[in-house]
Amino acid sequence: MEEEVESIEMNTSSARRAYTLRNNVARQVAVNFMPSRQIAHNTLRLRRVNSEHNALLDALVDAPDAADAQADIIVREMEQHQSLMEDNPVSEELRREALRDLPQCLTMKRNVRAKLSASVSLRSKRRPISFLKRLKYRISFAWKRTRDKFRDFIFSIELWYEAIRNIEGHLGSAVGSYFHLLRWLFGLNLLLTTFLLCFVVVPQALHDQAGNGTTELGALDFISGRGGLEHTLLFYGHYHDAEIASPGPLRYYMPFAYFYTMFCLYLMFFAVLCYRTAYSYRRNFIEPSGGTGALSQLLAAKLFCGWDFGIASPAGAALAAHALYLEFKELLNEQNRKKMITSAWVRVWQRLANVLVTVLALAIIAGILYGLWLLLAVEELTENREIYISLAITAVVSLCPVLLHFIVKLEYYEARTAFYVTLARTWLLDIGILVILLIYWSRSDDECWETRVGQEGYRLVILDVLVSLLLIPTVELVRGMLFKWKVLEAAPEFDITYNSLTLIYNQSVLWLGMLFSPLLVVAVTAKFLLLFYVKRESALRMCHTGKKVWRAAQTQTVLYMLVTLSLFTMLFAIGSVFLRSSSVSCGPFRQYEHVFAIVSEGLLQLSRHHTLRAVLHFIVRPGPIAFVLLGLCVCVYIMRARAAAQRSMAAILRQMLRLQAKDKDFLLNAIEKVSNGEWLYSPKAEEYGEDSHTWKYLNEVRKPSNAGFHFDGSRLSHSFLERPKSYVKENRPTSYHTERPKSLEDGDTDSSFSWQGSSSYLNQKGEAEEKR
Amino acid sequence: MGQGQSQFTEEELQDYEDLTYFTKKEVLYAHQKFKALAPEKVGHNKNAKLPMAKVLQYPELRVNPFRDRICKVFSSSNDGDCTFEDFLDMMSVLSENAPKAVKAEHAFRIFDFDGDDMIGVSDLREVIERLCGPELKLSDSEIQQLVQNVLEEADLDDDGALSFAEFEHIIDKSSDFCHSFRIRL
Repeated sequence: MEEEVESIEMNTSSARRAYTLRNNVARQVAVNFMPSRQIAHNTLRLRRVNSEHNALLDALVDAPDAADAQADIIVREMEQHQSLMEDNPVSEELRREALRDLPQCLTMKRNVRAKLSASVSLRSKRRPISFLKRLKYRISFAWKRTRDKFRDFIFSIELWYEAIRNIEGHLGSAVGSYFHLLRWLFGLNLLLTTFLLCFVVVPQALHDQAGNGTTELGALDFISGRGGLEHTLLFYGHYHDAEIASPGPLRYYMPFAYFYTMFCLYLMFFAVLCYRTAYSYRRNFIEPSGGTGALSQLLAAKLFCGWDFGIASPAGAALAAHALYLEFKELLNEQNRKKMITSAWVRVWQRLANVLVTVLALAIIAGILYGLWLLLAVEELTENREIYISLAITAVVSLCPVLLHFIVKLEYYEARTAFYVTLARTWLLDIGILVILLIYWSRSDDECWETRVGQEGYRLVILDVLVSLLLIPTVELVRGMLFKWKVLEAAPEFDITYNSLTLIYNQSVLWLGMLFSPLLVVAVTAKFLLLFYVKRESALRMCHTGKKVWRAAQTQTVLYMLVTLSLFTMLFAIGSVFLRSSSVSCGPFRQYEHVFAIVSEGLLQLSRHHTLRAVLHFIVRPGPIAFVLLGLCVCVYIMRARAAAQRSMAAILRQMLRLQAKDKDFLLNAIEKVSNGEWLYSPKAEEYGEDSHTWKYLNEVRKPSNAGFHFDGSRLSHSFLERPKSYVKENRPTSYHTERPKSLEDGDTDSSFSWQGSSSYLNQKGEAEEKR
Repeated sequence: MGQGQSQFTEEELQDYEDLTYFTKKEVLYAHQKFKALAPEKVGHNKNAKLPMAKVLQYPELRVNPFRDRICKVFSSSNDGDCTFEDFLDMMSVLSENAPKAVKAEHAFRIFDFDGDDMIGVSDLREVIERLCGPELKLSDSEIQQLVQNVLEEADLDDDGALSFAEFEHIIDKSSDFCHSFRIRL
């Protein structure tokens, strides 16, 4: 029988396809009249409904008023939304958004809008508007207008718009994401620069002008930051510790300015970074996983999201196509390899190797940090000692990512995990170095250790200029040339990881050094500006699109996360070191015993307010803090529990959706049969007396089931005997079935009303038609 | 950008701003780009209808494997020829500000080659063939296998084709869609 069915399918494949197509259209019509489609719950569904109407209306596209009719349908659907149809600015804005989100062409949108506004003005009753409401509307209008203007403005000042677009066109949006990060950091630093210059540097410069002093500079001073540069605006130690001497009547108290500017900037940028990271994390990690990661739609996603629409150059397009081709091949190969059954021992070995290599990498990092600590303690190299140390650090920072990149190849990770692992290790090294520097200098018996940290930051930034603006571009140039002369086989790619890590390292140095050397921000900003142009040239001229399809979105999130984490670590380190033991002989806070005294004494004046002091003292004692921490823990736990509950709810809902889709399909098929007059179930003839237990059972206990129907063979126009035995379950030994030997199938359970039965029936029909 | 003499009145610009995801300046910038495709024709009539071949001169479209589909989906006359408004529509949907749902809707239409409101086996085959480019060809059985895999992954109701809801589900799960389905003006 099975073979027979198959052969029928082969013979009548075209006929069947035509049948299915017709079927699909009919089904679509039916689906469109389902209640869920008729009531448009939200704009999303509204949109979809319209497009389905669109599909249905395609048939009458030639009719002259087809567009008009379609617009009418859309308007009618939009009219069902009360919130859209009111005559006030809020709903007007909603209307505007709904219109904009309509997947129709502009003419259609305009048509719909005209009809809609006519309908709105027809409906609206002229009511006097209260003053408050009018004010509200006016404000919302003004707000909207400002927002539009602002967006317009942003577009006109958007930096490097064409440049980044060009790069994306050539190398794909993954490389573009590096440049976006660069631009974003540049913008951030520009903002920092503005604030710092305005509130800290310029006032101090004015003060310096009043009592002028000249210093002479050596050539090496520019690199080391010592000598003549030490007592300049560059470093913390130089800043004044009282009111600055200004000619006017205005008073400007430098310690306040220094402290609160820094404090606000650090906090503000921490907030901005946290928000940005959280937003990116939510969009790229949480939303796509949708609660459970059980459904991996790897291939489907690759198919529909694989092509980077931003690619504009033919060479880039050819490479991208090649990359996709390779990826498909790889996927197929993987599948055909049938998942080699890895033995337990192999898995144990892999785990062990991962652990061992991780330990090794951590040991290397720890070793480097310890070496740095020893190097810092060596006092012999008196002449230009700092420069050598900074050079060593720069070398380590620029070489170690390469080393770690090779180390990770010894391990058994997936490509993406390996990437993240390398990133994390490199970041750990960078941050470790900076923290060690901070700790070393804060413990040294230098009379102004803050200036030393500032100088350290200054040197690191200056020396890194050599690496990232000269050395790396040269390497890239040489590599590109070698490829051009056919010495190298592989086309050089733009190394997103390495370059992004350089950016993050620079930004971390900035987070550390900003407090101790305000002008460092200017240096880093200028450097990023130059870096953009250098990188653009080297990317466009020397690099080619990668062989692998690079998933940009999640990588970008991780990079943002690292920037935020470095700021957090730096804030923590500075907070625990600087506030505790600032030097007493230099800097703007030398009048105060501790730095935080500027808040407690300078602003709150605690020595005079005893109650406030007592309250603050109580709050900062371990007891209350532990209590707060406990509270936070409880909150986190509750949130976690709620998240878990929602996740399981999402899983249930998803399961329900699937079942409903199947139900719908099933019902539609059933309806189709009914409409074709092929309903195989008719009401049962009553054979039981009123007092029969079976009757009672059927009518009262199992009321909602289809027990009242039985399978009616006489409705079938074809010979019943041809059906496969398995579908005709004649003798089912259920208790009350035996009472009714007449019915072949009683329709008592849902299983008997099965999809398979009807499909087999369909096949029969096809066969019959064939015979005819 | 967008400076200089404008062919549009303030009202028209406002209209475009209301109906698309662009600001006025961006609309003007888009018109510059459109004009660059056929300077004298568009200079004459700002909303001139350009034949598909001309529209496909646009750099990003020229190399896109789905270029003809994109033009057909956005063309108001359904034959691939685009007026400026169609072009603006296209760029607006492909811009960064367009929400995922709108993008998904149009992407669905682009991938639905035979226009039956379902992405069926033939559509999937076509997508795979176009993605791999004109030179590289996967064998028939390989494509068959890929299609089978896609359907196994994404066809929730087992009807042998992806409906819009199923397509949108894939899109929702992918963090890269908004990144990749985007042409910067």
